[in-house]
Amino acid sequence: MRFLLIIASVLVGGMALVLVASRTLTLSTCWCWTGSRHVLAQRKPIADGSEYVSYGSYDTEADWDNPQRILSLDYEQAQGKRIFYEKCVWCHADATPAGPSNRSNVSPAPPLMNDGAVLNAVSDDSLRRTIALGGIGVGKSAMMPPYGMSLTAGEIGSLVAYMRVIAVPEYHQPKRTSHWPWRSETK
Amino acid sequence: MLGQQMRKAVPWLARVLAAGGALVIVLLLWPAKSIWPEWKPYSRVPVTPSRLEPGTLVWKQPILPARYAQGSCGACHRGELPEAPNLIHGRQLLARFNCIACHRLQDIDRPAMLGPDLTNVGTKVSREWIYKWLKDPRTVTDADGNVTVDGVSTNPRMPTFHLSDQELLDISAYLVTQKKKPLGPYHFSPGLVAAVAAKGDPVDQGQIRFNQMFCVTCHALAVDRGGETTLIGGDIGPELTKVGSKVKPEWLVAWLRDPQSYLQHTGMPQYQWNDKDMYEVTQYILGRLTDPELMKDVPKLDPPTDGEVSSGRLLFVKKGCAECHSIEGVRPRSDFGPDLSAIGMAGGPFFVEVKSARSLPVAPHFVRSSATPLEVGISQIPRSMIAYLQAKISDPESVTPEARMPRFHMSQADLDDLTTALLGMTGAPIPASGGNSLILERADPEFHPDGKFGKLYQRFKCYQCHAFNGYGGTLAPDLSKEGSRSRRNWLVDFLQNPQTLRPTLTVRMPRFNISEQDATAIADYLSADLRSPNVDPNGVSDSEFTPEMAERGKQLFDQKYMCQSCHTIGSSGGYVGPSLNNAGNWLTPAWIEAWLDNPQVLVSGTIEPRRSFSSDEKRDLTAYLLTLKQTPAEKSPQGAMQDGGHQ
Repeated sequence: MRFLLIIASVLVGGMALVLVASRTLTLSTCWCWTGSRHVLAQRKPIADGSEYVSYGSYDTEADWDNPQRILSLDYEQAQGKRIFYEKCVWCHADATPAGPSNRSNVSPAPPLMNDGAVLNAVSDDSLRRTIALGGIGVGKSAMMPPYGMSLTAGEIGSLVAYMRVIAVPEYHQPKRTSHWPWRSETK
Repeated sequence: MLGQQMRKAVPWLARVLAAGGALVIVLLLWPAKSIWPEWKPYSRVPVTPSRLEPGTLVWKQPILPARYAQGSCGACHRGELPEAPNLIHGRQLLARFNCIACHRLQDIDRPAMLGPDLTNVGTKVSREWIYKWLKDPRTVTDADGNVTVDGVSTNPRMPTFHLSDQELLDISAYLVTQKKKPLGPYHFSPGLVAAVAAKGDPVDQGQIRFNQMFCVTCHALAVDRGGETTLIGGDIGPELTKVGSKVKPEWLVAWLRDPQSYLQHTGMPQYQWNDKDMYEVTQYILGRLTDPELMKDVPKLDPPTDGEVSSGRLLFVKKGCAECHSIEGVRPRSDFGPDLSAIGMAGGPFFVEVKSARSLPVAPHFVRSSATPLEVGISQIPRSMIAYLQAKISDPESVTPEARMPRFHMSQADLDDLTTALLGMTGAPIPASGGNSLILERADPEFHPDGKFGKLYQRFKCYQCHAFNGYGGTLAPDLSKEGSRSRRNWLVDFLQNPQTLRPTLTVRMPRFNISEQDATAIADYLSADLRSPNVDPNGVSDSEFTPEMAERGKQLFDQKYMCQSCHTIGSSGGYVGPSLNNAGNWLTPAWIEAWLDNPQVLVSGTIEPRRSFSSDEKRDLTAYLLTLKQTPAEKSPQGAMQDGGHQ
């Protein structure tokens, strides 16, 4: 009886350990409780030839400066990409779907959409305001027209999301203030 | 008693392990609660969108792999859906490749014309050409035999059938005897030929003329740019790089003079040719758009025998040629291929078949049943619907060796989009769509103008590039409201001598050589009948604007709003919007004011954003734009033609 119990407990424990090990190795999800929303770190670059590009994403975009680097876009970022290629690409890129870019005709030259060196320092709020109110509304060049009456707030938000994911150098979200008042961090 | 004994008997390590094991198992099972149901048989009854509660249409992840996720959108959405560009492109490809010729597809009707009408094909091409074309319907290839040049697929829509040499002989014999309307020989007057020859090589002059007429707006040519083959031009008409080796000269002349007499449903406009242009352009096409190597693998063929012709006719029927091509005496059969209207699974009636072990190479939530059983057979493709569809389209014989279906050639991106659209096919037409067809592109025109304009509209095929009241092409501006936008006199000038308003565009409106009388008829119709309800033509008149207003408007344009970032005036400014150099002659004051008020109301989707100008600012800007006029000397026909020649 005693031996049986020992063997049974060791078996159960061993199986549990094997389960934990195998699940940790094979599962890409994290060990959190259901209900909590977990966002997977974006896997990039994604090897070409994998059967499906990053399960859970909706679109892909090649990095402007490095075609080997493929970015996977979630739904919001993919919509931002679509609107970018409709409205913004004409002045905020050096090549457009129609060929030449209007960027050289505008002075001061508009920043490239993936220019992280310039745009990473600007907060999301400020970018949204610039798009919505135009240069004239935020004290910058009036050559940037306002899109607040043509694009919805959601569309402008998705443009900012797209801008962030294509930024070179990469954009890192500023650290949020901690929930614990005694460990407050500054941005 | 027993409990005490056990506590003593079992070592502490085993107890800890058991307790820990139990805890870990609970931890494992808790999150797995949400994962497991997906792997079980999902339902025993068909799941349709109507059965689902509104909240259930939110999935945690795409129900299809990311690249095909837009197929799920197609289960419910009909018509334009800018958020799902791949799905929309795939649906256009379904129409482009004539899938509806053989298969039944949800909400896609059989269009008026599928492939070219072959009733008179014997007058157009030789038997050798038909032989070559049927063997491999591709003419432009890279150095390494690829058929994509510069990333653009040059593949014709015609798929490759697997035909033996005898079958090729038989079908070519049958087709080359199709000469219902024989063509007489053509001739140009010796005086004209001598006059052209005196100016230089007629082929060179024809090339200049060909470029000036902007044939490349619709037809592409493959050119060699430093060893790389590149396609230049549009894809509305067929690519013409080697057409001189294909067609007979007398057919070419007759075709250019009146395309609709050969092919009633053609999209090719009927140009107003003069003999000189016709001579030069045909010389160019027959002399330079050729390839002597093209037919090198074709044997010398004798005139067709009766036996060949009759067995060719049988083959024509058997291979399903009649599903796309009309020919006298052969009728298309309905449902030549299987019904695909429920081939997609998202949203439609489906059972999730996940009874197999997880270790099998199955992607369980991609494999769902459709209306027709799938013929997977002995093939080695992975058992997923996506892999099956793609293998079936690009190489049907890899799926079933005896497949009737021909091989379609397209780029992988196109194949993915087509697959996406097929995955959105979910059964019977959706009632909520109101019977709207998914694709109107090749359907009969729904805009039927009558009178003189109606005739000209058909002759010049305006709807190939321009949209009218929701029907037509997307290459050129929508003309549904043109009467409110452009002044009548400007339209008359423009039609006779089309100049681009967007200098950076490489495609332009072709020169149709429209006579003044015809141009007036078209301008009258546009001005009278194609108007926007948002623009009141009598609300504003030119006389209301004063020079002072124009002066203030110039300040606003240049200094405050900096419109020159997108619009060109003079020789400086941007080219996102149209050049405004001739705005005073071109635009009506009512249109300018309405446009400044809200551009999206007049042209939905325009890049120009809506802004909040005050009503004084709107009037001042309008006054300024009305002062921008080009002198007529700058737009003389001669000048425009030279402009075009530089392109």
